[in-house]
Amino acid sequence: MSQNRNGPPHALLRAGFPYVKTIGMIRTTPAPVDIAIGTDRRLYVLCRGREGGIFPNSWDDDYPQTSVAIGGKGTGDGELTWPTAVILDSEENLYVADDALDAVTVFDNDGGFLRRWGEHGDGDGEFDHLASIAFDPDDNIYASDTLNHRVQKLTKDGRFLAKWGEFGDGPGQFNMPWGIEVDAWGFVYVVDWRNDRVQKFTAEGEFVFSLGSSGSGDGEFKRPSGVAVDKDGDIYVADRENHRAQLFSKEGRYVEKFIGDGTISRSGRLYLINNPGPLRQRESTDLEPQKRFRGPVSVRVDDGGAMYVPDYGSSRVQIYQKEAYPLGADQIAPPQRSPKLYTM
Amino acid sequence: MKSDIALLAHLLRRAGFGANRAELEEYTSRGYEAVVDSLLHPERSPEVDDDVIGRYNLGVVLQASFAGEAERWFYRMINTKRPLQEKIALFWHHVFATAWYKTEHNPDLVRQIEMFREIGLSDLRTILTRLSRDPAMLDWLDNQENHKDEPNENYARELLELFSMGVGNYSEDDIKNAALAFTGWSFVQPIPGYPYGQYPSEFAYLDEEHDDSEKTFLGETGRFNGEDIIDIIVRQPATAEFISRHLYNFFVADEPQVPSWNQVPPQDPDAIKTLVDTYFKTGGDIRAVLGALFRSDFFKEATFRRVKCPAEFIAGTVKIVDTDHFPSPGLARLPAASTMMGQELLNPPTVEGWHTGKEWIDGGTLAVRVDFAVQEVSDSSSPGVRAIAERLGAQGRSVSPEEFVDICLDLIGPLEVGGETHAALLKHAREAGPLTFENGIDPEIVSTRVVRLLQLIVSAREYQFA
Repeated sequence: MSQNRNGPPHALLRAGFPYVKTIGMIRTTPAPVDIAIGTDRRLYVLCRGREGGIFPNSWDDDYPQTSVAIGGKGTGDGELTWPTAVILDSEENLYVADDALDAVTVFDNDGGFLRRWGEHGDGDGEFDHLASIAFDPDDNIYASDTLNHRVQKLTKDGRFLAKWGEFGDGPGQFNMPWGIEVDAWGFVYVVDWRNDRVQKFTAEGEFVFSLGSSGSGDGEFKRPSGVAVDKDGDIYVADRENHRAQLFSKEGRYVEKFIGDGTISRSGRLYLINNPGPLRQRESTDLEPQKRFRGPVSVRVDDGGAMYVPDYGSSRVQIYQKEAYPLGADQIAPPQRSPKLYTM
Repeated sequence: MKSDIALLAHLLRRAGFGANRAELEEYTSRGYEAVVDSLLHPERSPEVDDDVIGRYNLGVVLQASFAGEAERWFYRMINTKRPLQEKIALFWHHVFATAWYKTEHNPDLVRQIEMFREIGLSDLRTILTRLSRDPAMLDWLDNQENHKDEPNENYARELLELFSMGVGNYSEDDIKNAALAFTGWSFVQPIPGYPYGQYPSEFAYLDEEHDDSEKTFLGETGRFNGEDIIDIIVRQPATAEFISRHLYNFFVADEPQVPSWNQVPPQDPDAIKTLVDTYFKTGGDIRAVLGALFRSDFFKEATFRRVKCPAEFIAGTVKIVDTDHFPSPGLARLPAASTMMGQELLNPPTVEGWHTGKEWIDGGTLAVRVDFAVQEVSDSSSPGVRAIAERLGAQGRSVSPEEFVDICLDLIGPLEVGGETHAALLKHAREAGPLTFENGIDPEIVSTRVVRLLQLIVSAREYQFA
């Protein structure tokens, strides 16, 4: 197995995580549920608004939309009904999980339909509300199978490999799992939606730890939906009904939260500059709420340390940039049992 | 005399959206009085599981779409353990009809319906006060344009004419003075919907826009503000009569259309008097008035004297087939069908609301109703159809055509049908002879016999009535 044996850094010097920019608007990224980041930061924004589908975009925030959406609304091959997640394989083909079709639809990155697999059921390789998918380092797929309350591992062509989980709230049990992620070392993270937590497992499904509980305080969740893990092992959770994203260390310790800092995107500006009515209304009201996330379904990270939050209710993607420096064991003191007032 | 189960079925059709047989048996075991009490106190029953509709209909969490809210509303009508909470919201939506098409603003329209759920069973003063502070209503009737130096009478006129007293019970001067009292009742400019979607507004009282001068309204004089006008309105006998007649029309029996009420007296003046008396005894408490209504003989005797509105027709049919307990893309068929039947929820045609009773029915809407109901009962694998087949099979013997018809009419209602309809159903049942399930519930027999008979029953004229 081609797992990264080195593991994440021992610790981090966390320098900051500033907001960078907003991409999209209601016409070009309508009601986004997920985003995949391709080569040269080509963006594939999976949307539910308008007719839905994958809306290609770029770091420069294309406006008007430069290419048609991939995957029209429907139930046939190449069509999507309730798409929930989009991920890329090593050739940058697009794999889309569809909750209503209980299927994964595969497109090439120009939008050409390649294949579709998966069907409804509770047998091996079948789904009852397929909520999300993630590639492991070997290009196998882990899937969160909501109403079967389990995780399944499959080949990228949908052949069943393994499964674990059952209904419940104990370790390794689920109540309608949603988002799923596999980190660079093969660990699997599952958003346990109705238990308001995220569980971490080994690649074989052995329980490692759980983070979060019900609530709105730091480190707590209200019906979380998405999860991502970056190259440092940091864990990001889309805390949907708290309208925020939260960051946890690789050990599951709460680090910080993001509530949204949206500014006007290029596409938004190009729209507004030609529309006197909305411009006057914006001058007549408090714009503070417009900064904030509204029901983010997903959170994603790229290798460059950028965090992307598809901001479902505001039809845009907010982007932040992590600034952190890896530390070796010889650069940071061992964990301390008690706090100290004396610091240097 | 009606059987207990028939009486409970009647109550649930009116105070809710119907019930299937298993639910009715459970209600009947509790007794009529206890069920009325439970319906009047929705807070004593668990909330509907909104979590799942919010997860699958993603925009619902954000009140992002009125069409999505209509879907959610049908989900709630079908799955709620608090049926009167949804029914009273629908009632006030009929009376205080506010439509999406004018403002195309989703969040505040959705919040208005939420408000009806929250306070719909409280007292009329609270209801009218909250209504008068509701941004969707204020915008719908232009009260944000009601300035002290340039009054706009639209809201004040409809408050009196359609929302509380009815035509003929006030003067034009009363309207002008009520309008002055509501000057300055406005709302905050919400962030516009482009480029990032709509945001809710909230009530704003603009003192500098308010006319604080002395006003005379319905014979009383003072420096009235909006609350004072509402205080005076809710004390009027005309208000009690008008609201009681609305309740009678929605919950008991079809009355003529609202604009004729100042010319055509109520069909049951004694019933209206009972409701009016309760209104005054309880300070306009809607819960108490409805309690008196549901416990009255005039209510219990009024079975099948209302044409189902589309929402009742659709939700009631789905409850019979016992589906849609979990969100699916197919849930969208329900608001779509309702629109085709003439009732687009959250988008009524005018401030007058929908015309009710027989006006729901014309050649087009009747065809849509029949098509919808036939389609819904056509799935022999649906839990409701299976349950009816299993009860037929549980007879443990051959079921005669007469019994087959009577059992199905009983299980789908109980539904009372006229002689002509009964004869037609019987003629159909006799053509295929007795019904037997010798080897368990044979899906073929369910499809060819049970489904077919159910299709004919829901196509009958009598099925249009609640």
